[in-house]
Amino acid sequence: MAKISFHAITKQYPGTSRPAVDAVSFDVAEGSTCMLVGTSGSGKTTLLRMVNRLIEPTSGEIVIDGKNVLQENPIALRRRIGYVIQQVGLFPHLTIAENVRVTAEIAGGWTKQRLDKRVDELLELVGLPPAEYRKRFPRQLSGGQQQRVGLARALATDPAIMLMDEPFGALDAITRERMQNELLRIQRDVQKTILFVSHDIQEAFKLGEQIAVLDQGKLIQLGTPVDLLAQPANDFVRKLVGGDSILRQLEYLPVIDALEQDTVASARGGDVPTFLSDATLLQAMLKLLETNAPALAVQDKDTQQQLGFITLASINREITHAHGHKTERTETAI
Amino acid sequence: MNYLLQPYNYDLSDPASIPNLFLDHLYLVGITMLISLIIALPLGILVARRPRLYLLVITIADLLYTVPALALIAILITITGLSLATAIIPLVIYTQLVLIRNTATAINGIDPLLLEVGKAMGMNPRQVLLRVALPQALPTIIAGVRIATVTTIGIAALAYLAGQSGLGDLIFKNIATTDFDAVVAGGILIALLAVVADLLLLAVQTVLNRGRTSVSLA
Repeated sequence: MAKISFHAITKQYPGTSRPAVDAVSFDVAEGSTCMLVGTSGSGKTTLLRMVNRLIEPTSGEIVIDGKNVLQENPIALRRRIGYVIQQVGLFPHLTIAENVRVTAEIAGGWTKQRLDKRVDELLELVGLPPAEYRKRFPRQLSGGQQQRVGLARALATDPAIMLMDEPFGALDAITRERMQNELLRIQRDVQKTILFVSHDIQEAFKLGEQIAVLDQGKLIQLGTPVDLLAQPANDFVRKLVGGDSILRQLEYLPVIDALEQDTVASARGGDVPTFLSDATLLQAMLKLLETNAPALAVQDKDTQQQLGFITLASINREITHAHGHKTERTETAI
Repeated sequence: MNYLLQPYNYDLSDPASIPNLFLDHLYLVGITMLISLIIALPLGILVARRPRLYLLVITIADLLYTVPALALIAILITITGLSLATAIIPLVIYTQLVLIRNTATAINGIDPLLLEVGKAMGMNPRQVLLRVALPQALPTIIAGVRIATVTTIGIAALAYLAGQSGLGDLIFKNIATTDFDAVVAGGILIALLAVVADLLLLAVQTVLNRGRTSVSLA
């Protein structure tokens, strides 16, 4: 298990006027997924590649589990970090099984039987039946299947940290969504600390517990998808996360944001449907429309204690509130 | 075909018997390929990814390639006499163009992405060379070795002119005595050796090229 901390990490390439990554500091919690988003040239890939020292920082520190990576042997460091990239980069002369085991082989210390067993386990995990795929070559696989192998290869030595650089960026929309779901499923089992570069905000919202928004090498905002939607740090973040989109707000903002205490329903007593506090506004709205109830009672998801009520009017107020908030900010910016 | 069927032509104690000439021929080809590779491999690696140097070296190799082997042997006889060197030098010069060109192409063809993937998974420089770079470059290098070897087997017949024994002896010695049976035997044996060597190297190439597109026969 591993926690990653960035301390004022900076990368300045010689002959450039501004740093590619500019004094970025934040923590990625153990076993969590942090998405790095931003426009191209924002420094997200540079930041990622400094973690396994494919790029050496100009200044600052990256600390994994209390150890500064710059003081570690880079080869040993890379062997305990999984790395997945958009182009996959499977070795064409090796079979699928050989491609998966190569990371474990170079790290050493595996018996042949353990390696064989591990390869089958991993192919199973990424949804490629070993008996069918073990002996195939990369060029016989589709793009999505190749990336599954890429994922299996990165997981082979069971590294605590995974670095993923737009791994699903080259896949078609349907395959991409399937792979995202697979990653979520796998992550529930393996609990890696994942740093994931994406230019797709939908993907970032879906996969990330935390999202780090970068612009021109600077960390603009770090927060949960809801944080970014509800309190975007500036216009750039608001545009990037699609704060204008009512649908996205409904999809991600939790019901507790739109609670009210005194409603007609509360006066009438508890004959309204109940909802748990971790539901989204969208789920609540659909329930209201479906049941034609005047309100929903919201209960705390742990204590079952009644927190308040939610109505179509309160949802509407929450959305328009977010909108009003935005207009005001835009004016200040001008 | 008579010549090939006579048992006394296979008498090992006779230095001019078919098996001994065959071995001499193999020796000429072997030495030529060894020296050729020692020169061409480092040179090919050196000029890869250096377009101007590549052009210079390839132009020189191409110019040398156009000098007829017979002419070269004739000139060399005045310098190195009737010696192994006179026989080998033209052969080595002939292999250089294809070997240097294929080696440079092979090195240029190594995908930098795969080198980086190897590095990113924690390969040390030796592992990157052995597990990533060489497997990618070898099939193309071997393709060059295949062409060079087959060409050398043919031209090595001219070694007779430099006083070196080989299968060329059957042709050149017997043309004078109009023993065409023996001349044809020499031709058949050289052709056979070339075909066998070609198929063997094709097999090597196919093994090395696994996982990628199939290798052409020609």
